[in-house]
Parts: sequence; C-alpha cells; structure tokens
Amino acid sequence: MELVERIISNPVMMEYVWKPLVVILILLFIVLTLVAYLVYAERKVSAFIQARLGPMRVGPYGLLQPLADLIKLLLKEDLIPAEGDRAIFKFAPIMSVVCALVVLAVIPFGWGVATITDINIGLLFILSVSSVGILGIILGGWASNSKYPLLGALRSSAQMVSYEVAMALALVGPLMFAKSLSMTAIVEAQRADHIWYLLYQPVAFLIFLVAGVAETNRTPFDLPEAEAELVAGFHTEYSGFRWSLYFLAEYTNMLISSAIAVTVFLGGWSFPLLDRLRPEHPGLFTLLSILVFAVKVFVLIYIFMWFRWTFPRYRYDQLMDLGWKWMIPATLANILITGAIIMIGQETLGLTKVTGGEYGERLVVPGLAGKAYFIGMAWLVLVPLTWIILAIINRRSYDFNLRAQRQIRLPERPATDDVFGKV
Amino acid sequence: MVAHRRRNWKQAISRFLLLDLIKGMIVTFKWQAPSKCYTVQYPKVRPRIGERFRGAPRLNRDPETGESLCIACNLCAVACPENLITVTEEVREYLDEASGKVKKKRFLADYLYDTSRCMFCGYCQDVCPTYAIELTQEFELAIYRRKDFAWTWEMLENGIDQPVYTR
Repeated sequence: MELVERIISNPVMMEYVWKPLVVILILLFIVLTLVAYLVYAERKVSAFIQARLGPMRVGPYGLLQPLADLIKLLLKEDLIPAEGDRAIFKFAPIMSVVCALVVLAVIPFGWGVATITDINIGLLFILSVSSVGILGIILGGWASNSKYPLLGALRSSAQMVSYEVAMALALVGPLMFAKSLSMTAIVEAQRADHIWYLLYQPVAFLIFLVAGVAETNRTPFDLPEAEAELVAGFHTEYSGFRWSLYFLAEYTNMLISSAIAVTVFLGGWSFPLLDRLRPEHPGLFTLLSILVFAVKVFVLIYIFMWFRWTFPRYRYDQLMDLGWKWMIPATLANILITGAIIMIGQETLGLTKVTGGEYGERLVVPGLAGKAYFIGMAWLVLVPLTWIILAIINRRSYDFNLRAQRQIRLPERPATDDVFGKV
Repeated sequence: MVAHRRRNWKQAISRFLLLDLIKGMIVTFKWQAPSKCYTVQYPKVRPRIGERFRGAPRLNRDPETGESLCIACNLCAVACPENLITVTEEVREYLDEASGKVKKKRFLADYLYDTSRCMFCGYCQDVCPTYAIELTQEFELAIYRRKDFAWTWEMLENGIDQPVYTR
C-alpha cells in the first residue's frame, strides 16, 4: 500500500506521467469534440453553398447532430470481409488515427500553458508522423481484399508521395527566416518581428494550402475516395466505428494542416497589439492567444470547406501533372529566389541581422525599409519570377497529354472489305 | 500532332492570377446568403401550394343548412376513369313546405371514394352539378392501414386526422 502511494506521489511520476496524462485527456476531449463539430460545420457550409439548411432537427439548429451521428456509428454492425486480412484490417484505422492525434502534441495552441510541448524539430516531427498516417490508408485498402479499396489506396499512396514533397519544400522558405524547426520558435520569430511570413512567402503559402488539401484527401484532390469511381475508396469495406476512426483521422488532419499553415505563415497565436497584455495579465493573454489561434485555424478550415464545395475533382493525370510539373518546380524556384533575396538583403543592403534569443538564432529584419524590401521583393519579384519559370517548364507539357493523343488519326484503309471481298 | 494551346495575353494573365478559380469561389460564397435558401422546413412550416393543385377529395356541405350538397346523381361515378367512386342512393319521402304535399326525392345514402386508385384527374369535380365533390389542396394522404384508403362519407366531409407539427 505504501509502495503504491509512493509511486503515485513520486515527483518524477508526477512530472512525467500524471501531469501529461491529464493534459492528454483534456486535449483529446477538446480536439475530438471539435472534430465532431467540424463534421457538423462541413455539413452546414455545404448546405449553405447549395442553398439548403443542413442539419436542423436534432437540437436547436441541429447542434446535437454530431452526438446522434456518434451513437449511430457506435451501434452499427462491424463488418470484416471474409477473405480480408483480419489483423491488418483492424490495425489500419487505429494507425491512421493515432498518427493524426500524436501530432497534436507539438502544435502551439497558444502562449504558456497552451503550448503543450516544444521540441526543437517540431515541424519535422509533424511531417514525418503525418506521412506514416498514410500507411494506415494503404494498409486498410490492402487488407480489405477488394478492388476498389486497393485502387483507392494505390491512388492515395501516389498522391501522398507527390504532394508530401511539395508540402515539405514549401515550408523551407519561411524556415529560412525563422532559422528553427521548433513551432514555438517560428511563432516567436514572427511575433518579435511584427510580421506574418505570408507577406514574405506568398508562393509558399499558396502551395502549402494546395498541398494541404491534397494531403488531407479532400476535394478537388479526393481521388483516393472518389465516390463516382471507387464507391468510397480505401474505406469501402469499413463500417461502424472503424470507419469513423478513418473519418476522425481525416478531419484531425485537416485541423493539423491548417494549424501548421497558421503557425508558419500567419503568425500562430500572436496578434498585433495583443502583446501589451502579456506582462500584466498573463492569464488573459493566454486565453486570448488561444482564441486568436482558434480563429485563424477556423478561417483556414472554412477555406478548405469552401474549396471542397466549389471545385470539381481533378482527373488523375491532372493531379500528377499539378504535383510534379507545377508545385515541386515552384517550391524549388521559391527556395532559390528567396535565398537570393535574403542574400542580397543581408550582404549587399545590410537590412537584416542574425540574433540569438530564447529560441536560438534567427533572422531579424529590424527596420521598416527592410520589411518593405522583403515584402516588395516577395510580391513583385518572387511571384512573377516563379510564374515565368513555371511557364517555361510547362511550355510544351500539353504535347504528351490525352488531348493530343486523341487527335492522332490512323492511316486510312482502302475501300475494299477483306472478309467479304469487293463491296 | 501537337495540341499546343495558344493564349493571348489576357488569357495568360487571367490564368496567372487564377481568376477562374476565384470567380467560382465568389459564386459559391454569394450563395451562402440565408435569403437564397430554398429549403422549407416541411412539417413545421407549410409549403405554398399552387392554386390549381388537386389533392384530397372533399364532399361539401351546404353552409346554411348543414346538409350535404350531393344529390346522388351518380355523375361523378360515371365520369371517374378509375371507377373508384361508389354512390349509393335511396328514395325518401319528404314534406314539401311550399305546396304542403308529400313528395319523393333521391337522397345520398352512402359515398365511398377509394383514394388508393385515384389519380387526381379532377373529372369528378368538373362534372358535379352542385359543386359537392371537390379536390382540395390538402396533400397529406398517408395513412397506416390499407383499408383506410377507402374514404367514407364522413371522412370526405371532415378530412382525415394528421398530426400537426408546430415550429
């Protein structure tokens, strides 16, 4: 009995087991509720765009609909295909959802307590773990032993491979300014400089947004689950709670993509003029920082939903075309040109300095002239130059597409019929 | 054999600025206005029905005396393409107050209207000389038992019970 008490009240256990456990439970509760309401929001946004009302019957304005959906999903029959690989079939959705939820640990939801952990390779951690999550999709498609899930999984893997590269390369641009992979350090760098990296890196932001949509398997890139072609894609054979795990993973991934975009490009939880509160009211500041972060994330999520209900799905070759011929060259050009802009600003014009701080060294642009230089160069030089490079690369990209191939005519045959002799 | 697309500078710039995508997004954004919503929350809010809509049948009564307007002439049953109306008449004696004599007249004994076969053509109301049978704008005809599809005289006069939802 005494031993148990000692284990429980041990300061090491307290610090590394009990406290994190409580934080994890709180975070999971909040995020899972949020994800359930994201589904509701998605249904509402789609309804409004299509001049409908959406869920209205369960609770006021249908606000209890997620609860009803949850109960329905829990009560559904759990089917496993007879010829499927049972172990992998059960394991795959768990893998998908765990990878999505683990990433939440390093996202800075706000200042102080709201930053759960800050590891110095935060962004790298997120990218690597979320790409493991795709394995869950592939395994699920494989274990179903059915043609449509397998096709969905294959499409998914091809899509992930092409868009993961563009996503990671797009993040290099802002990182050249922040000089750190730690999520908190990136936010702090933007806060201290009074700038959002969106202004320095418009191309990278656009590409990250598009790659984020592709990463989360949403329309216009929802080929892995294209319902017109593949029934439901990789989760065709899934039902009940296992299916809802995939659903959960998809919406959590959407949350994470927009959280990364907010942290890296939109200044995270920082907001102009809010910093004055920090010395006097730290509690209020924490609360407001969480609120600011949430608002920014929801704006991006709304844009994701808006995309989904506006654009039709890409054809498969168009998807690959966009990934390999447009996004990846654009990110590479972006890195090169941004590097050149920074070099000129740093060496020739002397507009920047590198300072060390709480979170390691970073690039600081102190003066207004320096900010004007970087913003101007980004929008007036970087964007057109990237576009020109893309135009040159893709100048003859239609030479090999289906349109051209359809126009090939076979040589005309003589007017005699070989089978029946002369007509 | 090359399908190289030639663009003029206007098309090139609109492609560069992604104008087509933005145009589409503006369209979907505008449609989100609550005033553009088409949905009628049906059981709570009654939809507006066209004036010429033909729905549930009704057998009208004289508003002054409360007696049925039907004179049991059987024209509706003859006109009905589905032969779903059954009119039963009986001849009764009555006292004519004007002349003070006892006269004989046909009265309606029973009226049966099988809504399960009705196609709401409206021939019965067209042919009725006294405007007794009429197709109203009531459209909720669902019932629980199959036999209730045959509407009796009483049902025809009072309508059938349907649950009423309020907002």
